[in-house]
Amino acid sequence: MNFRFIVKPELCIGCRSCELACSFTHAIENVRSLTRISPIDGGFKDLWVPVTCLQCDDAACIKSCLVDALKRNPVTGAVELNQEVCVNCMACVAACPFGCAILDTQHDMVVKCDLCGGDPACAHFCPTKALEWKPIEVKKKQAV
Amino acid sequence: MIHITINGKVVECKDGEMLLSVIRRERIDVPTLCHHEAVEPSGACRLCTVEVTKPEWDGWCDYVTSCLYPAKDGLIVNTHAPKVNELRKSILDMYLARHPKSLKIKQLAADYGVLATSLETVVDGNNCILCTICTRICDHMGFSAISTVGRGHGKEVAPPLDMAPADCVGCLACAKNCPTDYIEYETGNGRLKIWNKEFEMVACTVCGKTTVTKEFAEHLSQQRDIPFEYFEKCDECHRKELSATMGKIANWEREVRS
Repeated sequence: MNFRFIVKPELCIGCRSCELACSFTHAIENVRSLTRISPIDGGFKDLWVPVTCLQCDDAACIKSCLVDALKRNPVTGAVELNQEVCVNCMACVAACPFGCAILDTQHDMVVKCDLCGGDPACAHFCPTKALEWKPIEVKKKQAV
Repeated sequence: MIHITINGKVVECKDGEMLLSVIRRERIDVPTLCHHEAVEPSGACRLCTVEVTKPEWDGWCDYVTSCLYPAKDGLIVNTHAPKVNELRKSILDMYLARHPKSLKIKQLAADYGVLATSLETVVDGNNCILCTICTRICDHMGFSAISTVGRGHGKEVAPPLDMAPADCVGCLACAKNCPTDYIEYETGNGRLKIWNKEFEMVACTVCGKTTVTKEFAEHLSQQRDIPFEYFEKCDECHRKELSATMGKIANWEREVRS
């Protein structure tokens, strides 16, 4: 089954439950990690946009990594960062056109959304279902 | 798949996989200073030494650096045998004499019960333990700007001819991965100075925050086919830009539905 992470900004109320869920899920040795998702003011009244990694097909972060620390997980489709291999050169942080590879200054490491390995915690904690992780139908390309 | 025994526990691993990666996977704490997953192991620091033996060796055992020793079927490994601990202690004793100022070495030595060195301390010693993580990473990233220079007592990590290295792009991977924080660099006012070379940082066109050097951004955009304008904004401004664009679409959808 093909799962997709679906974001609906019009439902987001900016409660930041996703931030907390992300922070606690990715905690290292009981110290909270930097959140990979955050609702940012969308520029209109009562409108928040939960900004997180878009898992681009032609990802600039994968292209920018000179040590192959960033790889796509073929099952979840997420671009995952191997912290052991990462050399903290900040290439992906600078290259990402959406600013979704972030430097966690507390742990001194680069973090990015990995969809929690196939079960995003933020989607569980979103009270308004602005974030959802659900199966989608894959439409077959029609022959012209 | 083969089976080896680590500290009495039978573990499955690949044939020829280095012992250290199997030990790390089993979450056994073996100290290392020269190991980095991004690059090939070099066996420089000797701290990952373990005791290996086999039933057919008639009680004989060998002391090997686990980062460079491939696993073979039936191998019996002891990561904290009394002799191994003694060996690590004497290695740390020597490190402590040569690099007395390094905090990391002090901590590691204290973990093994070496609180003061039994040897003569090198007074004007620096913190470089010649683990070559910096040069290996620099080579692996394709720059090869620094290398080890000289032999024996005079061996040190330096750019060629002690001049500002032409190939260095200022990615700071060497300084950030140095286990003893020996490599120094200066940042400030949108400039970066490392290995006697000065770099200009790319400042965010909106807020002025700097992330990487101009040389590094140019290298990435040319070699890896990434548009240079991606580097011209910082991550935070990029996120704001994304939220503004998505916000317009969401607002439009909201108005259509209401």
